[in-house]
Amino acid sequence: MYHETRAADGADPGGAVILGHGVSKLFGGTVVALEGATFTVKPRQFISLVGPSGCGKSTLLRMIAGLIEPSSGSLHVHGDPVGKPRRDVGMMFQRPTLMAWRTVLENVLLPTELVRKVTAADRDHALELIELVGLKDFAYAFPSQLSGGMQQRASLARLLQTGADVLLLDEPFGALDEFTRERLNLELLRIVAQFGRTTLFVTHNIQEAIFLADEVFVMTPRPGRIAGIVEVPFERPRDISLMQTVPFNEMVAEVRGIFDRDNK
Amino acid sequence: MSDESIPGLSAEDGLTWRRVFNHLAILVAFLTVWEMLTVTGIADELLYPRPTLIIYSFYSLFIDQGIVWRHLWITMATVLSGFVVGTILGISLAVVAGLSETARRYMKPYIIVLEATPRIAIGPLMLAWLGFGFEAKLAIVTLVCFFAPFINTLTGFLSADEDQIELMRSLGASKWQILTKAMVPDAMPLIMAGIRLAMASALGGALVAEFISSNEGMGVLLNNLAAVLQMSAAFAALLTLTVLGFFLYRIMESLESWIIFWHHDDSMRRVARKRQTYWSKL
Amino acid sequence: MIARGAPGRKPARWMVLLDPVFLRRLATHVLIFTSFIAVWEWAGQTGRLNDLIMPAPSAIAAAIWRMYVVTGEIYWHFFVTMFEAVSGFVIGGVIGLGLAIGAALSLTFRRYVAPYAVALNVTPGIAVTPIFIAWFGFGWNSKIALAALIVFFPIFVNSLSGLLRVDRDTEELMRSLGASKMQTFFKLMLPNAAPMIFAGFKVAITTALVGAIVAEFASATEGIGIMMQRYAHRLDIAASIGVLISMALMGLLLFTLMEVADRRTVFWLRPERLEQVSRKRRRRLMALK
Repeated sequence: MYHETRAADGADPGGAVILGHGVSKLFGGTVVALEGATFTVKPRQFISLVGPSGCGKSTLLRMIAGLIEPSSGSLHVHGDPVGKPRRDVGMMFQRPTLMAWRTVLENVLLPTELVRKVTAADRDHALELIELVGLKDFAYAFPSQLSGGMQQRASLARLLQTGADVLLLDEPFGALDEFTRERLNLELLRIVAQFGRTTLFVTHNIQEAIFLADEVFVMTPRPGRIAGIVEVPFERPRDISLMQTVPFNEMVAEVRGIFDRDNK
Repeated sequence: MSDESIPGLSAEDGLTWRRVFNHLAILVAFLTVWEMLTVTGIADELLYPRPTLIIYSFYSLFIDQGIVWRHLWITMATVLSGFVVGTILGISLAVVAGLSETARRYMKPYIIVLEATPRIAIGPLMLAWLGFGFEAKLAIVTLVCFFAPFINTLTGFLSADEDQIELMRSLGASKWQILTKAMVPDAMPLIMAGIRLAMASALGGALVAEFISSNEGMGVLLNNLAAVLQMSAAFAALLTLTVLGFFLYRIMESLESWIIFWHHDDSMRRVARKRQTYWSKL
Repeated sequence: MIARGAPGRKPARWMVLLDPVFLRRLATHVLIFTSFIAVWEWAGQTGRLNDLIMPAPSAIAAAIWRMYVVTGEIYWHFFVTMFEAVSGFVIGGVIGLGLAIGAALSLTFRRYVAPYAVALNVTPGIAVTPIFIAWFGFGWNSKIALAALIVFFPIFVNSLSGLLRVDRDTEELMRSLGASKMQTFFKLMLPNAAPMIFAGFKVAITTALVGAIVAEFASATEGIGIMMQRYAHRLDIAASIGVLISMALMGLLLFTLMEVADRRTVFWLRPERLEQVSRKRRRRLMALK
């Protein structure tokens, strides 16, 4: 696979996909959005970034995406220092960011269209992804004809169409209702497992963060930083009933403990 | 319909000395080129008066001969009285119509037709009806100022926040209370936009009235000056109208920030302080 | 997850003619209109109206009949004004949209063009009429120039605010996909601004008509404005009103044309058009090689 070859000739001996050392970001020279984040993301890992507003989780994600540059520290993706957006890192936002004047299929094809002329093979690939996210009958519908959850499914298909092997998800289901969100989380797990991509998932819901992840970065505000990294040992595939178990809830308590410690 | 200044630029933007200097440099360069073109005769000075001559015309229009004042005063009087009458008529009619859904429905086709009609076109008819005097001009400006406030007020009522009205009803508010405490404030930004549009078209309306009814006013002055090819004076008169338009625009702008204070940070803070003293003295 | 606007054929538009509520309302409209006309006519016939101020509907109808059927004099004037307004609209529109695109893409350009645009906005454009007539003569050119001048600002300001009103997240998405500046402009900014641009066009097209007519009032030998003024000077009020109605008609015609263009272009804000476009797109994508 693509990321394996890249990881092999990457600068980092540990085979890390993303490597951050003392990453900080200042806005306007004074506001510290993120301070001294040091972390490693290994291939195919699912990382959750959890924390309240202002803890710098979106800032960190945008730096990895190459949308903004770190003020200090070093941040490498596949061994290269981050600078500008790259094809093998894809991003998904809290809002669907679909173009209202394009059908679902055309929206999904957008990443391809930006690099080359779209072929029948691209179309068929996109249609497969649309089917994969459960929108088979809506490939030619316009975004305004879809519910919020369906719009996010389309946006997920577009993310997969980029072919990126690092997926950055910024609270992708945060604006949806609880039931829809739960179902989409499960499908996300299934899809990510099937493709074997490295995933960073931003959320402010502790349960959701733990349920999805291999590792949870617990982030706290003022200044934004990574206050703790918690490893999640539960086996995959995971079922929603996991959230009822004692070990799961102990882990929730552990993460909450980090926030409480920070508040004192 | 929009009547804002330039989008994507805040009021503070461009106020550094450096930028002011650059702006001035561009302007001066432009005027110099213009001056050169007319002095050397490349551009016909009869049609494109040179900037220095326009400045001199300002002096003669305002100070030396002083003929501009009377015309300016007449135009201002027409604009302001027509604006006040038209706006009040427009808003009150819309309030009356807005209270009844049936009235709104049956008025709709006429409003659509009237919106598409160039209102100023009724000018010659007004003159035929009312003669070549102040009344005809007033009527034209009133008519021009009537529609935007009328339509915007009606639209404001039509797009009232249903939830807020339900809340008022659940609190046992009367129809009058719902109107004054919920619907009117809610529609105020749109009404204000209508009033600003009215003001923006009032000056144009007055000028058209003066063009066709020729006895006095800035429109007449402009027409006469251009007709005898006194272009530098015509330009001075035109720039006077620009300044006048600018003042009217700024007045409407501050009126807006005063009335819809909750859309403007400064005014909001001021009103908050005032309310605080009011409530604590109670 | 429920899809809004679920597939399935909607009833045809003419079906509304069978709707009793619609029919009742239509009947009431017609009733109000005819009784108003009838009272007016009655007042005219019985001499309660001054013909010099408000002629009876029949007199107006007769005047309209005369200018449209007997002499047919209105058609040429109608065409002249329409041509002036549309040409002015096109010229002012191209300049306005072009400058708006420049101002949207470059902050510096926006800064330096702003004071002139503001000055142009606060000057009543109509005030330039006498100067334009001196410059461009008594013919069509001065009318076209005035129309172009006064349509500039609504088109400029609406287009600019539409182009700037790009969703920040979608812009970041385009960047994260490595889109070039051109791609972002054509695939995101321009379609995103289309509704606002058309809103500007719709305001401007009636404004252009006003410009042409006012310039004709000031001085012209042909055009619907001068036609109206001649009748008014002759105190032929019935014919003046007939011309006024024709002006309303022209305004409606131009506005409707713009509305149709708007509906065709900005289809995604018209739920009733989505299915048709969707079918067309599907055919196009299926034919892909």
